[in-house]
Amino acid sequence: MLFNSLHFLVFFPIVTLLYYLLKHKYRWILLFIASTYFYSAFFLPYILILYFIIIIDYICGILIENTKNKAKLFWLLFSIISNIGLLVYFKYYNFFVDVLVNYLPNIKHLDIILPIGLSFHTFQSLSYTIEVYKGNQKAEKHIGYFANYVLFFPQMVAGPIERYDSLGKELRSKHVFKFKNISKGLRLILYGLFVKMCIADNLAPLVNEFYSNPTQYYSSSAWLALVAFSIQIYADFYGYSTIAVGAARLLGINLMDNFKQPYFATSFYQFWQRWHISLTTWFRNYVFFPIGGSYVNAFRWITNVLLVFSLSGFWHGANYTFIIWGFLHGLFYLIEKGFSNLIPVTLAKNKIFLTFGAIATFILVTFIWVFFRAENLVKAILVLKQCFTYTFDAKKELIFNYQTIAMLVVLILLEISIYKSRFDKFLQNQNITIRWSVYILLAFCLLLFSGIQSYQFIYFQF
Amino acid sequence: MKKLFYKLCAALVIGAISIYISNIIYTKYFYKNDLELFDAKMLLKLDSLQFNSDVLYFAESSNGTTAYSDTCLLSISQMMDTLSPLKINAIEHGAIHAKTYLNLIKHINSNALVKTLVVTLNARSFGSPWINSKLETNLSQANIIYESMPPIFKRIKLSFNAFDNKSVQMRDYINEQNWSKNKINVPEEFPYKTVRQWDNAMANGTYLLPNGDWDIPKISLACSYIKTYAFSIDTLNNPRIKDFDEIVNVAKQKNLKLIFHLLAENVQYADSLVGKELHHIMYENKQLLIDRYTRKGAIVVNSFELVNGKDFIDQNWTTEHYNQNGRWILAKNVLKQIK
Repeated sequence: MLFNSLHFLVFFPIVTLLYYLLKHKYRWILLFIASTYFYSAFFLPYILILYFIIIIDYICGILIENTKNKAKLFWLLFSIISNIGLLVYFKYYNFFVDVLVNYLPNIKHLDIILPIGLSFHTFQSLSYTIEVYKGNQKAEKHIGYFANYVLFFPQMVAGPIERYDSLGKELRSKHVFKFKNISKGLRLILYGLFVKMCIADNLAPLVNEFYSNPTQYYSSSAWLALVAFSIQIYADFYGYSTIAVGAARLLGINLMDNFKQPYFATSFYQFWQRWHISLTTWFRNYVFFPIGGSYVNAFRWITNVLLVFSLSGFWHGANYTFIIWGFLHGLFYLIEKGFSNLIPVTLAKNKIFLTFGAIATFILVTFIWVFFRAENLVKAILVLKQCFTYTFDAKKELIFNYQTIAMLVVLILLEISIYKSRFDKFLQNQNITIRWSVYILLAFCLLLFSGIQSYQFIYFQF
Repeated sequence: MKKLFYKLCAALVIGAISIYISNIIYTKYFYKNDLELFDAKMLLKLDSLQFNSDVLYFAESSNGTTAYSDTCLLSISQMMDTLSPLKINAIEHGAIHAKTYLNLIKHINSNALVKTLVVTLNARSFGSPWINSKLETNLSQANIIYESMPPIFKRIKLSFNAFDNKSVQMRDYINEQNWSKNKINVPEEFPYKTVRQWDNAMANGTYLLPNGDWDIPKISLACSYIKTYAFSIDTLNNPRIKDFDEIVNVAKQKNLKLIFHLLAENVQYADSLVGKELHHIMYENKQLLIDRYTRKGAIVVNSFELVNGKDFIDQNWTTEHYNQNGRWILAKNVLKQIK
């Protein structure tokens, strides 16, 4: 089920109402049924994959806690192999077939559909067994609560990837009805819908048009398309995450923020502290630190950084383009680190220098997005080449209509306003006139200027 | 709780006012653009044609021509118009189907001039490949535009994904499932019980063509015929049945004479490329449609086997596109019923 669907707009109020009408001890049943229904709306049979993950990791968690040494390690590895095995089978198998087809000519593609959000479920569930293994987390004995941790519908298909110590605790806590939660949740949902439907869905057709045939466009249009995709991917994923946080908040449950205005970041380091925060944290805790992190020699450190960034790229999709996207982020991160030691502290805090840093980071990130968006490497190179191909031949221009420009202006103004806060908190501090003016403005934007050709959330495919 | 109640009431009132104002703004400034965006201008065309036509001919691409060899470029409906004293106009668009016809017919006013509707009954459109075609997403969007409701609600439905928005992979998957699981209506001794089995046998050459030929283009065309036509219409679950049934009801309510034009299929090629079993399945489907809609009170013009194989424009694909000979034959056949 999509957040930006009438289906969800009917489903969610019913669930919320029932949630507060039910006694706390029965709520896990409601959430389990609601989450199962939510996921089944995409493709019913694949709910079984999620149940499989739940059962495996629930049992592994208990066995890890109750065993020692090699047995403990065995059950951890069993959990990791089961989760990663599923991921490899559904997401990466066909990619590996393409890689190996020259050596194993009889190997064939699998004719399967990738379960929506599989990378999110497996990573979230894995974080639980790893934490139990490390002794930081007690194994959950109630399978219902554990199932809801993996299935919790507001964040099940595209995160944020939560750890059990936060989401598990939230799910177990008794949440009483509070008007504050309802208003904050609704604000976030409204803003999330605006960002997704008025920004991402308006930019999507322009970006798609350009990427379908980039050589037909002037270089100026190529630049515009690159910037448009930068904003589209942000609005798409940020919109989803904001709705997810808002929907959970309505149920009294706090989810972590996955974004903190990443395009205001003044460096790559900052960018990764602000973009898809839950995934960055996951890779840092469960991949980067275990392979030595920064406490190794320079060569190992560089290798570790590049490896983790490339892996995070590969996590997104089974394609070389995603690996290159991740690798380039790692590379620029390293270059930035190298130069940062040479810059005097006074200059590093200078506002003009920081502004320059933010612009440079945005431009570089925008270029690197090309590898994320293009279907293959050839297309990515073609797009980049088009940015620097100046010609007098008649070509097409990418045209932004007035509505889209107006929506972008609204987004930028709102993003600047909430720079040091979050949308719901920002509105909380405003007087009633401003608050309701913003609600009405966003409602009108949604009614009149939302993208009429709706698009699925980009991150659902991961 | 009281505070929440008041706030909710305020929000609902403001929401209703916003929707009302938005509808005025949207209808005045943006609606026509959206009609163009979804290629849904038929609605505007219908608004005018229903008041200056005696007969409206609802059709997909079968009405017109793309044949370079045609010297006569008239569509079937134009040919009918030429041959008849009645004013006959067409509401047509490529790839549309019963759902679109239904939504459009609902827009016909009680005081309109039009008294007879001819609606193409395309047997192929009842099959899985068409029902789950990748064009269906766009058609479903256009169908929302054709619905009878205030324009702003149509926009809300479109923005909030209230249409068949399956991905291409999902549609392919459903087709594959239908081909693999649905049993086809063939005689007992026939070795292939599903489309997938039959198609594989044909593709792998274990099932030889009746005339003994075996070349790639013909095999490919034969496979296409199997996947397109080897299905048995499930009257309980087929969405086209539901829509055509509803068309019959709406036409009755509006007191309109309803003629279903059962389009010609290239039965000759199906027979020669694949064999008598496919012919049998196609015949059964044809008969089912004729019986069902005659029973329901519509007139069914049977053109199913009326056009020769060579008079189909697409000789290497399964379509209902006819050259001028084919179109004249069909136009005359339909006209017999209008008179």
